[in-house]
Amino acid sequence: MRSSVLAATAPPERLAAFRAALGVFALSYLILRAPVLLQLRDRTAGGFAGVGVLAWLDEPIDDRLVTGLVIVAIVAGVGFTVGAWFRVAGPAFALSTLVLTTYRSSWGQLLHFENLMVLHLLIVAFAASADAWSIDARRAVRRSTDRDYTSPLRLSCIVVVVAYVIAGIAKLRYGGTEWIVGDTLRNHIAYSAARLDLLGGTPSPLARPVVDQAWMLSPMAAASVAIELSAPLALLGGWWRNGWVIAAWVMHVAIAALMLVTFPYPLFLVAFLPFFELERVVPALARTRLLG
Amino acid sequence: MTGVGRSRSIWWWITVTVVGLMVAPVVFDHDSHPLSTYPMYSGARGREVTIPSALGLTDQGTEQRLSLGVIGASSDPLIVAGELRTAIREGRAPERCAEIAGRIDDPSIEAVAVVMERHDVVAQVEGDPSLLERTVLATCPTERR
Repeated sequence: MRSSVLAATAPPERLAAFRAALGVFALSYLILRAPVLLQLRDRTAGGFAGVGVLAWLDEPIDDRLVTGLVIVAIVAGVGFTVGAWFRVAGPAFALSTLVLTTYRSSWGQLLHFENLMVLHLLIVAFAASADAWSIDARRAVRRSTDRDYTSPLRLSCIVVVVAYVIAGIAKLRYGGTEWIVGDTLRNHIAYSAARLDLLGGTPSPLARPVVDQAWMLSPMAAASVAIELSAPLALLGGWWRNGWVIAAWVMHVAIAALMLVTFPYPLFLVAFLPFFELERVVPALARTRLLG
Repeated sequence: MTGVGRSRSIWWWITVTVVGLMVAPVVFDHDSHPLSTYPMYSGARGREVTIPSALGLTDQGTEQRLSLGVIGASSDPLIVAGELRTAIREGRAPERCAEIAGRIDDPSIEAVAVVMERHDVVAQVEGDPSLLERTVLATCPTERR
């Protein structure tokens, strides 16, 4: 199937466009989170338990190392985004972001919305992602002709699909059919609102009206599990892909509106970019701007 | 094998490895970062829920809800609730209580209490009385006392 994401062949510009978009998002995220990351230096060691690649750590890392990692990540993130010294900047950005996000998650709360972003960074960082639309490409005398630009994008798509399927499986595994046919979703929405209220935050104004209209939540629960489990359809490309991406995005918008739980990476659509022919977007935008 | 062919072969193995790594937490039921079982909001949940929190105890003898920033030095309720719950589970409620007390700048609050409260969350959202049970795990004076 020509439009299949798995069968498509990608030019270097497609991978480069994903690199730039991912870089802008991840760098912005890291800069916004920098105060939180730097505040970890003031924590007492009691709440620390290493997870993931830091599972071997028994106690927090040196404060100077935290500061250094934040600086390295931000500087390397600029190089990643504009494609400068990418062979160094790419892996440095991905690995420092992996360590920083893992370090933050080692303080008692895993932040699952960072997972896809980190996995995509690792894939793009170790691929030939700066062979086009980059400072490195401008400096190069000639572009190597034996690079594979398709496989990293294909893997990025597969990672998205697997993550959503796992999330769908989790609901059936931990919640069972009760998650779909019972009051579980209503109670999750009420719990999110109550938790915010008890912790001094402001709950979603939509929580109460939706909890009052509980009849609509069972179809919503079924839809969200169906969207997650049907993620492989996006690999078919074309309207299957478009339909699934729209459905997944709407699901995240609904979660954000009802529970004030935001997954910024898919909400800003960056998670879904590798499914699309991004190289067409930039010239189209340029033409629109010229014509406008 | 051409350069592209060799590269595709390498990426094929990378793809198999990455998918294997992503599925492994599901097989072993072990959540981590960035490889996860994605368990958030996946469990069955009744309408009675125990929620960790912290209260300000005023010099008038009343209780005052504290902000996310004071309780957890973060604006993210996931982080604040998750870290407070972990601290309580690990027996560090007094330590966390002292940290919260150190962030209080309201002179009318003379002490902090770290609590676990059981609520009917549906009633809570609807504005009805919801508190079913409260366990005080630690109290500590504020620095202004």
